[in-house]
Amino acid sequence: MNQKPGVCTFCGTGCGHFIGTENNRVTRVYPSQNHPVSKGRLCVRGWNIHELLDTPERIKKPLVRADGGYTESSYEDAVARLVENLKKYPPESIGFLASPRSSNEEQYLLMKLARAAFRTNNISLDSDSGHRASLNVLHAGTGMAGMLGSIEEIRKAEFILVAGIDITRQNPIIGSEIHMAARAGAMVVTLDSRRTQIAKLSKKFLQVNPGANKLAILALARTINDENLSDAAFMSAHTEGFDTFRHAFGLLPDNEVSDKTGIPAEEIKAVARDLAKAKSAMVFFSSGISGLDEDTIGYIYNLFLMAGKIGREGCGVNPVAGLNNLQGGYDMGLAPDLLTGFQPLADEAVAKKFAAEWKADVPSAPGTPVYESLSNPSSKLKALVVVDHDEGIVRYADAIRNLDFVAYIGAFKNPFADFAHVVLPIATYVQEDATFTNTERRIQLSMKKIEPEEGLLPGWKLYTMIAGKAGQAWTYAKVADVMEEIARLTPPYAGVSHAKLSSGFGMQWPVNEKNPKGTGRFDVAKAGRKLSFYKVSDVFEVPSAKEQYPFLLMVGKAQHFWHQNNLMKKTHIPMREYNATLMDYPDGYVEICPQSAKEIGVRDRWPVRVVSPHGEMRVAARVSDDVRPNTAYAPYFVQEMISRFLLGHTEVLKQGEDATIPVRIEKV
Amino acid sequence: MTMFLIKKADVGKIAQELSREYEVYGPMIEKSSGQTFFDRVEDLAEINLAAPIPSNPPKAVVFPQMERILAYEYDRTKNAVKMEPDYRVVPKALVGLRPCDLAGMLCLDRFFMGQEFVDEVYLNHRKKMFIVTNTCITPFKQCFCVCTDSGPAAKEGYDLNLTDLGGEFLVEVGSEKGAALAAKLGLAPAGDPHLALKNEKVDKSIAMFEDIAVDSKAWISRVMNRVTTGFAKEEVWEYIGDQCFECGACTFVCPSCSCFNIADVSNPECAGCADRLRTWDSCSYEGYSRMAGGHNPRKPVEDRRNKRFFCKLSYSQMKKYLRPGCVGCGRCAWVCPGDIGLPNVVTYVRREITR
Ligand code: SF4
Ligand code: SF4
Ligand code: SF4
Ligand code: SF4
Repeated sequence: MNQKPGVCTFCGTGCGHFIGTENNRVTRVYPSQNHPVSKGRLCVRGWNIHELLDTPERIKKPLVRADGGYTESSYEDAVARLVENLKKYPPESIGFLASPRSSNEEQYLLMKLARAAFRTNNISLDSDSGHRASLNVLHAGTGMAGMLGSIEEIRKAEFILVAGIDITRQNPIIGSEIHMAARAGAMVVTLDSRRTQIAKLSKKFLQVNPGANKLAILALARTINDENLSDAAFMSAHTEGFDTFRHAFGLLPDNEVSDKTGIPAEEIKAVARDLAKAKSAMVFFSSGISGLDEDTIGYIYNLFLMAGKIGREGCGVNPVAGLNNLQGGYDMGLAPDLLTGFQPLADEAVAKKFAAEWKADVPSAPGTPVYESLSNPSSKLKALVVVDHDEGIVRYADAIRNLDFVAYIGAFKNPFADFAHVVLPIATYVQEDATFTNTERRIQLSMKKIEPEEGLLPGWKLYTMIAGKAGQAWTYAKVADVMEEIARLTPPYAGVSHAKLSSGFGMQWPVNEKNPKGTGRFDVAKAGRKLSFYKVSDVFEVPSAKEQYPFLLMVGKAQHFWHQNNLMKKTHIPMREYNATLMDYPDGYVEICPQSAKEIGVRDRWPVRVVSPHGEMRVAARVSDDVRPNTAYAPYFVQEMISRFLLGHTEVLKQGEDATIPVRIEKV
Repeated sequence: MTMFLIKKADVGKIAQELSREYEVYGPMIEKSSGQTFFDRVEDLAEINLAAPIPSNPPKAVVFPQMERILAYEYDRTKNAVKMEPDYRVVPKALVGLRPCDLAGMLCLDRFFMGQEFVDEVYLNHRKKMFIVTNTCITPFKQCFCVCTDSGPAAKEGYDLNLTDLGGEFLVEVGSEKGAALAAKLGLAPAGDPHLALKNEKVDKSIAMFEDIAVDSKAWISRVMNRVTTGFAKEEVWEYIGDQCFECGACTFVCPSCSCFNIADVSNPECAGCADRLRTWDSCSYEGYSRMAGGHNPRKPVEDRRNKRFFCKLSYSQMKKYLRPGCVGCGRCAWVCPGDIGLPNVVTYVRREITR
């Protein structure tokens, strides 16, 4: 039999699969029936992952730039070139852009490399800060910097709120669990500006005005307060700081609710009652590149805390990571201010612990996230190391071109490599043992399935080699040793080892003495602390359409594809599906409702010009009932032009999913 | 019909004998997960005739998920093309095939080889094959072959058919190849009482569906009529279509589904070289039914679902397969994120009829 268990590495759901191989090549994939998360299901991406794993579009040889082109090199020489160039600059001029797709072991070693060998804290994840926003809220409120609930408990939730996430497209198997819960009787409510598939499958759909998610959540919380529906016993036993939240209720006069949110006030009240009445409740929202902003997440968390729906069976405030190891990335300290397990770099005792283990001081000078440096014309950044860039486009291309030195490390070909002076190949995730942490904190070991191509190094060996050249002797004999070091330094990973992960379906952190088998869900009874309400702002800038720009344009993801994902482009069938959309809308599209189309005077697939105060783009109209009059939706990865248009709206990219741009749409 | 007996302890000899001439495939349990796979057997002791229905459809043996069917090289200077078909003509023995899966393979035979055009790739996998079926003396949770006339005992298409009678297996011979193997093994002959015992076992198995096969109930015949004549209401298809996640799983796991895609993958290390891959495809994908020029006859997702169920349940398709396209294995219900496996679809269409 030739079926080797592993984990799908496309999205943060972490579905279980089996990979079949022949002659050291991946030839097939099959779902894992008994996997607790996926229970025998995979989505379109997961069902075609063998196409990616067999792609010839790989980087197989170290390359160095010479005379305007590249010449093949040896690891020895390319690594020497890399180290020599990085050592030219002071730490504040070096940056590391880490990948939310790399394994925990690779992420950890890159973090260690940046800090211990190159003495910089300029390290960040190559994805937006959306997930960090979720972790900040949950960590401050409960001490757990990860999803509070568990995917396995979805079917135990009586009430499920899906807030601003196209979950059956982004994380389909989590979407499936929610659908199954709905079919078994759970009250599933979708809050979104666009009628997504999960909206159609929900018992209730609150179609909120673009940009008004936070207000809708506030309206829900206020109903719970006004009608005395909050869980008073839970609040007094387990929470603190409600007063910091209560003041927000005065900010939204009753008569403005429906006007500002676009949802009839009675509908909101009914949903608040459903939530309060349910014995258990969960909420899902998007985390990652287009997640909600921190303040809105704070409101969501506070709402569930008031309702007593945190830390109990079937409950959870659940940010959903779109990328397979985004959660792992934060767990591994890929942020200027964090070490592993969300331990603050500024904590001296923590820094000392790391220094002792590493036999090297941990730099204390604050770092800057790489994209922040790239967007800042007066940044000191001169040299950059990038690992497995995920997006099919390269943002801030001009700034990157102006850097003195760029190194690209990765398994698959990627446009980012074209900017590099040194390119270093590494093995794919099926060519070495590797662990990944999914969106519900489940650490899973995916065992090596095929041998790397002749001479190709796995990431951990390459990083060890780089460290050696930079004067740090790392002594890992095997990749499992790296996890042992992580476990020594990282309280939530304390009980994790490859040996323990090699049977079963992974463990959810914290894994420690008290919870040797891991922790499915955050448990208020074991929290050992009060849960605090998150300090939210009282700023509600509901964007409103103006005469000049009568449409509110939402930006987001659509199916099969995220933000021009580099990996998806190396498959056949998912790529064809993506192209099928492009055939209808070769220039990308903006979705408008039939009424708006009529007013503008266009039909489906007719070209339109979208004009904002900061720029314009020409795309096709896609006429659909899924959006409301005077709102428009553009999936931002469909065409590079759209991405470029949006780059002109940096403030929008920062705001994430709830962001909107007032635009005018004209017939051309 | 000739029949023999083989002791339980000796049943492994069949695979052993076959392994001299054939690549052997059979049901095995993957240890780390407890999941049954029908796959290439390296260690004959791993074949497990008592294992539940394999999670994967054995069709993968004759119709792999992804296979290289051709390599070609274009020489620009000579303007010449070199093409090498890549067929794996290896004799294969399937040992312990479940009756539903055999019925599925017979549908594939009729699709790939029974029409005007014979599919060479399939033919090369399928020829020189030895099939040993295994009667289901108990059904599994998701089975409904009794509704689709494809189990729990195989009726045709096997070389040998095994039925567990307790201490021994009844071995029914279905072909000359089968007879030759039985002779080679020197099996003891069986008689009418053994056949009667088998029939009793099969009847018992059928009676057990009520209590064991609780996941799936699909009263197919009434629905077939509706589906064929197009009388199933549009709202029903819409209700079903809304729940489809377009994952393709139902097609991939189905023993009788034959959709495939052809992709030419160029080799970055050799200009002009490419491999032609054939991969499983699914009518649930939007790009699958798209025609050149942007016209997609099955654009809305409910139409694409409709096509699959039409394929499994209509008379017109039945004419092609000489049986219903659905063989009642229940796998599509297992893997569907939308909870619209075939049994549920049948229920929804029936509900509409009875209303
Ligand atoms: S839901 Fe995510 S992890 Fe699961 S199969 Fe799809 S892409 Fe892979
Ligand atoms: S569907 Fe019928 S033939 Fe197939 S495994 Fe189940 S009982 Fe056996
Ligand atoms: S339609 Fe479903 S139940 Fe019927 S044969 Fe195919 S996979 Fe099995
Ligand atoms: S398995 Fe279900 S969700 Fe997936 S394509 Fe088939 S019907 Fe649709």
